Amino acid sequence: MNLRGLVFVQIVGLAGILATGSNLAYGQVTSERLLEAGQEPRNWLTYSGGYDSQRHTTLTGITPANVVDLQLEWVYQVRSRAGAAEKFEATPLVVDGVMYTVTPPNDLVALDALTGRAFWIYSHTPSQDARVCCGRINRGVAIHGDTLFMGTIDAHLLAIDARNGRLKWDVEVADPALGYALTVAPLIVKDKVVVGPAGGEYGIRGFIVAYDVETGNEEWRFNTVPGPGEPASETWEREDSWRTGGGSIWVTGSYDPELDLMYWGVGNPGPDWNGDSRPGDNLYTDSVVALDPDNGELQWHYQFTPHDEMDYDAVQVPVLVDMNWRGEDRQVMLWANRNGLFYVFDRTDGEFLHGSPFVEVNWMDGFDENGRPNQVLAPTEGGTLIMPNNQGATNWYSPSYSPETELFYIPSWVDTFSVYTKRPVEYVEGQQFVGAFPTMAMPALGTQPTNVRLPEEGFGAIQAVDPQTGDIEWMFEMTDVTDSGVLSTASNLVFAGGREGYFYALDARDGSMLWRQSLGGQVSAGPMSYEVNGRQYVAIAAGAGLFVFALPE
Amino acid sequence: MPPVRMRIRVIAGCAALILTGASTLTAQEHSYAPADIQAGQGLFQGNCSGCHGQAGDGVQGADLSSGRFRRGSSDEDLIRVIRSGIAGTSMPPHESLSVGDTRTIVAFLRSLPAGGVVPVDDREVRVGDAARGQAVFEGRGECTTCHSVNGEGGLRGPDLGGIGARRSPGSLEQSILEPSAEIRAGNRSYRVVDATGATVTGLLLNQDTHSIQMMSTDERLVSFLKSELREFGFASSPMPSYQDELSGDEVADLVGYLLSLRGEDAQ
Repeated sequence: MNLRGLVFVQIVGLAGILATGSNLAYGQVTSERLLEAGQEPRNWLTYSGGYDSQRHTTLTGITPANVVDLQLEWVYQVRSRAGAAEKFEATPLVVDGVMYTVTPPNDLVALDALTGRAFWIYSHTPSQDARVCCGRINRGVAIHGDTLFMGTIDAHLLAIDARNGRLKWDVEVADPALGYALTVAPLIVKDKVVVGPAGGEYGIRGFIVAYDVETGNEEWRFNTVPGPGEPASETWEREDSWRTGGGSIWVTGSYDPELDLMYWGVGNPGPDWNGDSRPGDNLYTDSVVALDPDNGELQWHYQFTPHDEMDYDAVQVPVLVDMNWRGEDRQVMLWANRNGLFYVFDRTDGEFLHGSPFVEVNWMDGFDENGRPNQVLAPTEGGTLIMPNNQGATNWYSPSYSPETELFYIPSWVDTFSVYTKRPVEYVEGQQFVGAFPTMAMPALGTQPTNVRLPEEGFGAIQAVDPQTGDIEWMFEMTDVTDSGVLSTASNLVFAGGREGYFYALDARDGSMLWRQSLGGQVSAGPMSYEVNGRQYVAIAAGAGLFVFALPE
Repeated sequence: MPPVRMRIRVIAGCAALILTGASTLTAQEHSYAPADIQAGQGLFQGNCSGCHGQAGDGVQGADLSSGRFRRGSSDEDLIRVIRSGIAGTSMPPHESLSVGDTRTIVAFLRSLPAGGVVPVDDREVRVGDAARGQAVFEGRGECTTCHSVNGEGGLRGPDLGGIGARRSPGSLEQSILEPSAEIRAGNRSYRVVDATGATVTGLLLNQDTHSIQMMSTDERLVSFLKSELREFGFASSPMPSYQDELSGDEVADLVGYLLSLRGEDAQ
C-alpha cells in the first residue's frame, strides 16, 4: 500500500465516525471563528465566551424545569506539584470536544470534554523569581489557529501547540523579580495576542502589550502609566512617581469588531493605600481604556476612582451590549466596579451615561456632569472606615448579561467595610509596595474553615441589576462572600457559586434557587457551558478540582 | 550485545564532539551495578517517564537517550539538575528523591544505548549523499507529510530532528524498508473501529477502562467510548515500506540525510 492510499482510507474512516455525532469537524480556530463565536455555542472560544464578554450561552438543553436533575459528569483534580491549589481561577476553553484549562500555577492541560481524561499536559515550572500578591494562579488560555497562549506567573507568554502540547515560542514579557506576573487569560484580536502584567502591589509600571501570534514579536505596547512626554503624564505630578505607578492588567478585556475597539480595565495605582507620593489623578489606573487593536493607540478612557487609595482596581470584565437604553438604540458597556458603583457607558466614545451604587458606598456622594466622582473619604493617619471594603463590592469575578431577561448579573460583596490607615511606604525592588493593610473582616483569600462572621460585616450575593436604572431587581444572598463568576443561559438560568463551596442554578428572572451542589472547596472561577454530541455541559472550578455537570442521558 | 552497545556510544559521542561546542558530552565516571540500573529504571518510570517517555525521548530537545545532556556532563551535574529542576522550563525539582536514588536514575540513563532500541547492525548498509537524501525526504518520499524535522513538518509520525545522533545506519535503513519491524513504544500506532466499521488510526495519548484519547493521523485530538467501538488496539506502523518505492541509491541517500540530522544545537 502506498502512502497516499493509506491516508485516504483513514480520512474516510474518520469522516464516518464524525458523521455519527452532531459536532462539526474540527477546524482551526480562525479569527473569523472568534468573531462569530456566538454562532457555535457548543464551543467556548474565549475567556468570557465571546468578544462581547456577556458570559451568556445560547444552549438551552438545561432549563429551569429540568435543572433539578443536573448531575456530576466528571471531575478533574489538580495535580499540583506545589501541593493543594491555593485557588483555581481558570475558565476553560472548549473547542470541538477538547477542553483546555490551566491548573495552578501554570500547567496547561488538554482534556477530553466528554470524560475529563487528559490528552496531554504542558507543565511550566515558574522561576524562583516569580512573586504574586494573591495566589500562584492563572485565569486561562486563549486560542488562535492551532496555538494556545498561556501567561505565566514568572511573566512569560508561551505559545503552545494545541495538538500535542509542544512549545512553539516563549517570550519574557517583563522581569518577574520586580513583581511582574501574568495571570490574565490572553485576548486574541486578529493576528495579535494581547496581555498585560499583574503586580500592582509591587510598584510595577503597567502596560498592555500585543504580540504577533505566529512569531511572538512585540507589535505595540500601551503604557497604562504614562511616562514623561506621553499624554496624561501630567496626572503624575511628582517626578518619578510614574516609575512605580502600578496600573496592572489581570483580567481579560473585550473587543468590539464593528467599532474595532478593544477595552481593558486597569488596576490600582502604587503604592496602594497611601497616595501622598503620587499626587494627581494617576491615569490610567482604575480606568477603562479603549484602544485601537492595530496599534495600541488610546481612543478614549474613563477613570472610575481618581487618585485611588482604597485599592479599587478597575479590572472587571467590560460587558458589551447593544440595547435600547432609555428609549434609544445604543452600543453600551456595562460595568459593576470594585468601588461599589454600577456604570453604563456609550462604548463608541466613552460617554458616561449612568452611575449608581449597588451596595452601601460612603467614599463618594455623587458625580459631576462628566461622571467624575465626588470623593468625600480617604485613608487618614487615624484610620477611616470606608465602604466597600478593600476587596471591593465586586472584583475580577466575571459578571453576565442575559439578552433574554435584559438583566446584568454581578457577584457582589454587599455592605462591607475596611478601616484604611495611612502609613509611610518606601519602594524596594521586588518587595510589596502598598502601605498599611486595611482591616478586613473578609480577607482576600478564603482560608477560614469556619464562618462565625457578624451580620454587620456584610455578606455575599448574586445581584441582578437593571441596566436602565441601576435598580437591583433581585438578590440571592449567601452567608459568606463570593469570588465566583456568573454564567447566564438563554433558557433563563444563572449559574454561580461562592466561598462556601456551593454551586447554584438560579432562575434568571427572579433569583430563586433551583438547584445546588456542594463542591467542598471555594468557587474562585467563572462557570462556562459547552456541548458535545448534542448534550449540554456546565463546568466550574472549585477548590482543587474542575467539576462538570450534565443532565442524565 | 555488549560490543554493539559500546560501538553505538562511541559513534554518538563523536558526533557530539564534532557538532557542538556548547553541547556537553557524556562523562561516564565509572561503571554501574546492574542493581542500581534496575532500581534507577524503576524510579525513572515512576518519576520521569510521564514527561520524558518510557524511552527517555519524550521531550523535544531533551532526549535523555541520546547520551548528550545540555545541563551538565558529570554524574553530580545530572543529579543536581534532576533534584533542583531547571527554572524557566517545564522541568520541576524532584527534591523528594534522595541523592542516592537520583544516582541510580543517572545510572539508568547512562545504561541506555543511544536510541533506546538496540539497533540492527549486522547488515551491510550503504550511506549515500545527505543532500540528495534530503531531496528524497522532502520530495518523492513525501516523508514530511508525516514527519517533522525540528518542529517543521507533519505531526503524525515522530519528529526526526536528532535521529542521526540516536540511530545507527542499519536501524535507519530497516525503518525505511520494514517500518513495523521495530517501533518505539511512544511511536506505536493505535487503531479504533466503530460499530459501522469506520476506522480511526493515530497515536494513543491516554486510555482508561471506559474511554480512549488519541491524536488521529490528521492531527486531531479525538476520544472514544470503548462501549461504542467494535475493536481497538495497537496496530502495525502506518508508515508504508519504501522497499519497492525507492531505489537502492535513494534509500542510501535517505539514510545519509537522516544520519546528518543531529538535533538542534544545544543552548
